[in-house]
Amino acid sequence: MFFHIVLERNMQLHPRHFGRDLRDKLVAKLMKDVEGTCSGRHGFIVAITGIESVGKGLIRDGTGFVTFPVKYQCVVFRPFKGEILEAVVTMVNKMGFFAEAGPVQIFVSNHLIPDDMEFQTGDMPNYTTSDGSVKIQKDSEVRLKIIGTRVDATEIFCIGTIKDDFLGVISDPGATS
Amino acid sequence: MSAEEEENAAELKIPDEFLKAKCLMNSEVALILEHKYEQLQQMGDDPMNQVSQVFEKSLQYVKRFSRYKNPDAVRQVREYPSLCVLGNLCPETVEEAIAMVPSIKTRGRAHDDEAIEKMLNDLSLIKKFE
Repeated sequence: MFFHIVLERNMQLHPRHFGRDLRDKLVAKLMKDVEGTCSGRHGFIVAITGIESVGKGLIRDGTGFVTFPVKYQCVVFRPFKGEILEAVVTMVNKMGFFAEAGPVQIFVSNHLIPDDMEFQTGDMPNYTTSDGSVKIQKDSEVRLKIIGTRVDATEIFCIGTIKDDFLGVISDPGATS
Repeated sequence: MSAEEEENAAELKIPDEFLKAKCLMNSEVALILEHKYEQLQQMGDDPMNQVSQVFEKSLQYVKRFSRYKNPDAVRQVREYPSLCVLGNLCPETVEEAIAMVPSIKTRGRAHDDEAIEKMLNDLSLIKKFE
């Protein structure tokens, strides 16, 4: 889910940027540094929406760089175990399928797809119920539940399931239009 | 909370900082990101070069899955004391809502079925009239 959250970061600034537009430089550098990054704790930092405060700078011994503690508001995307969200299917194979919800990748194993859905090979590999009424293929929209997350330094990867009540392909026509 | 294993959104077991933070509906995120994208466009450069992949993917995602397109409707939903998840998923029945958000019944929120149903009705009304 997306959150609006306040984070803090110590920014190092080169002395050549000191001057009237120091603050602008600081903010521009902050955006460049943190937007698009991902940490296990806070998730993906999507966009900075505002600067809360810029603390007093501290000159580093030896280098002349100055460190400013900056508090900023940002939009983050953080998936949680147990969360239910909607995602777009990006790839289907016999092991299961991959889906994307914003920046995060979710894998749904074939063990976590309802038993009545069978894998069909072909041009458009897909999972289909025996009566053919429900089909999961590339670009389908599915509602799934996250049951596990794996976090490494720069990415969060999730395992999901659609084997539960009210999960699976989104039938609501309003949602797909 | 320290152990990653313990988190479970269904029981609202998420790190403190997120409990305190404001959660955003997809529709709200869409408004924020589109606004930011326009700002970048006005600055002259091609915004596609400037934004990160994460930004781009998020924008596509929230555009695809935002239930309320009209900014006023988004504001109305926000004022309504409901949960962001319900605004994102728009469940139709009470059982569906409870299955989506089990914590709706617990943790002192004390929403009974009737209250939930009323909430869902109001949300769908806002959607209808946006």
